[in-house]
Amino acid sequence: MKLVIVDYGMGNITSIISALNYIGQDNVVVSNDTRTLNDADKLILPGVGNYATAIAKIRKLNLDTQIEELVINQKKPILGICLGMQLLGDSSTESGFNSGLSLVNGVVDKFCKSELKVPHVGYNQVMPSQQSRLYADIEGEPDFYFTHSFKMLSKSSIGQSFCHYGEDFIASFELDNVAGVQFHPELSQKNGLQLIKNFIELF
Amino acid sequence: MLRDRLIFSLIYNAGAFMQSRNFRLQRVGDINWLERNYKFQKISFSLDELIVVDATKENKDIKKFSEAVKRLVNDVFIPVAAGGGILSLEDAELLFNNGADKVILNSTLYETPELAKSIIEKYGSQSLVASVDYKLVDDIPVVYINDGSVPIAMPFDEYLTFLQALGVGEILLNSIQQDGTGFGYDLSTIQEYGQSISVPLLIMGGAGNERHLLDGLKQDGVSAVVTANLFNFIGNGLPNARKYMLENNANLARW
Repeated sequence: MKLVIVDYGMGNITSIISALNYIGQDNVVVSNDTRTLNDADKLILPGVGNYATAIAKIRKLNLDTQIEELVINQKKPILGICLGMQLLGDSSTESGFNSGLSLVNGVVDKFCKSELKVPHVGYNQVMPSQQSRLYADIEGEPDFYFTHSFKMLSKSSIGQSFCHYGEDFIASFELDNVAGVQFHPELSQKNGLQLIKNFIELF
Repeated sequence: MLRDRLIFSLIYNAGAFMQSRNFRLQRVGDINWLERNYKFQKISFSLDELIVVDATKENKDIKKFSEAVKRLVNDVFIPVAAGGGILSLEDAELLFNNGADKVILNSTLYETPELAKSIIEKYGSQSLVASVDYKLVDDIPVVYINDGSVPIAMPFDEYLTFLQALGVGEILLNSIQQDGTGFGYDLSTIQEYGQSISVPLLIMGGAGNERHLLDGLKQDGVSAVVTANLFNFIGNGLPNARKYMLENNANLARW
């Protein structure tokens, strides 16, 4: 199994690689090269930082059209993590309005309640959706590590699971071969390792 | 429900790990010693986060420090914050590339706030922890920089406001007077200022046992308790402390 972490110069990928290796995945490549992406069995879109900067870099590297081809036409599974998940949606208002990759319907906006501490940082519980593949063999309302100031909502049915922080927002989604998690599975102890394993085995 | 956090902090000094008391450092061992005595991969299951600080006073070597961080956090799947001696965006980048999920700034926040801005611009607010060392002088907290040696002119509350306006993701309040004493956190300062801080607040300095950790988390506005107490929490100290806290209804993540 060849796993390619899409490289657009943003995001701490050390722990993602380390988590993949830990669960026995040794063929992990970090790349934005067309041929390497084409060879991938599965893709991971990481990301920390600013949405506007990220989508600009993705477009500049022509990764938007490549991801669309690989995921929509070739049906390669993709897992977006944190900002990477947000980028898979339609748009965000971080640093002005920007459209995203639109692989699923979802809009990203700031946490709005003034009494909340923002960013939302720490472990928080997720309420997994029914028949979720991502949470297979993970029991109850598991804790995952979140760190973000913007959150995603969707009016469509995209297999979303929720987390609560002042309001319900999307903790993860899974629609056919497209999955995204707002939290960091690579920083969420055994729950996170199991979730990554599920993405590899069940998508 | 958003959980509170229990964070362990390791103090690094020129290749060795240290115990600190009132900011005076005592060497306890190098990374081999630490690995022998701690088995971090195992201990990390009792923790929610790890902080690693380079407290080397002269000739800090951030490359060597980043290598120690990398070795330490291998197979540790919790967030890691690292700092101490970050003077440029490249320094921060080096730590991010070696396993840090967040970086910690202290004196530079006051002296060259532009660095904080460029880190935030590139990595986002959530990637930056503002570390604030303070002493009570006539019962009023005063911020100290340069390893706790130089007081700043700006009043404590103004400084906290300044940091939040700068866009830091979290604030770590460290009481120099309580540091390493094992007498418990400086609860009075936390009670007075904790609620006015609108980013997650981490408190440090003084925890000597699990009751102190629990008392710290009970304060309004506190998101995390940090301890660097190597001796009290060695062996099964950390797993037992976490168990005690959970049994006493601490709102910690459950693994």
